Amino acid sequence: MPMKGRFPIRRTLQYLSQGDVIFKSSVKVMTVNYNTSGELSEGARKFVFFNIPQIQYKNPWVQIALFRNMTPSPFLRFYLDTGEQVLVDVEAKTNKEITEHIKKILGKSKETLEKEERERKKLSHPATFGPKKYHLRECMCEIEGQVPCPAFVPLPKEMRGKYKAAMKNEA
Amino acid sequence: MSVPRGAVHAKWIVGKVIGTKMQKTAKVRVTRLVLDPYLLKFFNKRKTYFAHDPLQQCVVGDIVLLKALPERRSKHVKHELAEIVFKVGKVIDPITGKPCAGTRFIENLSDSENLTEADTTYLSEKLQELKVCSTDK
Repeated sequence: MPMKGRFPIRRTLQYLSQGDVIFKSSVKVMTVNYNTSGELSEGARKFVFFNIPQIQYKNPWVQIALFRNMTPSPFLRFYLDTGEQVLVDVEAKTNKEITEHIKKILGKSKETLEKEERERKKLSHPATFGPKKYHLRECMCEIEGQVPCPAFVPLPKEMRGKYKAAMKNEA
Repeated sequence: MSVPRGAVHAKWIVGKVIGTKMQKTAKVRVTRLVLDPYLLKFFNKRKTYFAHDPLQQCVVGDIVLLKALPERRSKHVKHELAEIVFKVGKVIDPITGKPCAGTRFIENLSDSENLTEADTTYLSEKLQELKVCSTDK
């Protein structure tokens, strides 16, 4: 049974997480003005249809407002925390070009992203065991080559506390 | 704990004015895109904010930019009007700077300077024909 809708792939988590535009923390609002008809606005329409979900998924705290058929020319406008406004003309541009452009001007660079990733990795230690939310593994029995979990495979006699206690009592 | 600016999370918002019946306050509706967890589609979620508008220059239907106030002005008013982005009926295209309506530019409406002599004589003739003379009955 296929998914419903025109391009239902837009509604998959894999597609949404493939968005690579992550805005700098100073970007607060993004406004898109586009037209529902006309060749010049075609790229903007495709941008709104395909790329806006990806951008909003990656930047949940940026307000995105869409305005249709208000002005003849399509454009994007960003409102930064400093009060500055960035106007981006997207007339006769494809949606790929638009995403590349905004990634270049207002997106976090790859170095910043990698640095943040490293910071996050530093907080969690990979060698500890515990709940799945905070650690990689829950028990030593999960690792290949270690003693398997006694819930599935009974331990050999020599490792059981019952046997060891009996041997100690005997000796 | 010092709050440098904004006792509220949203520092800058863009919304549409829906009410101006309060004195020096505008009721603004802000839409944000929220992901539905099952459909994985973004829908607009509305929220109304009250904004301080000291000159009462907002009309219902304007698109405005609000800025968070450093501290709350009253129980509900936490933002103030920063600028009117699009004034209803008088939208100005930021790329060209010309007034526009929908997908068309509004050309300069008064054409009287561009009329030639022939045009004015033609028009005055037409006006003569339209003149209603009072016929005594």
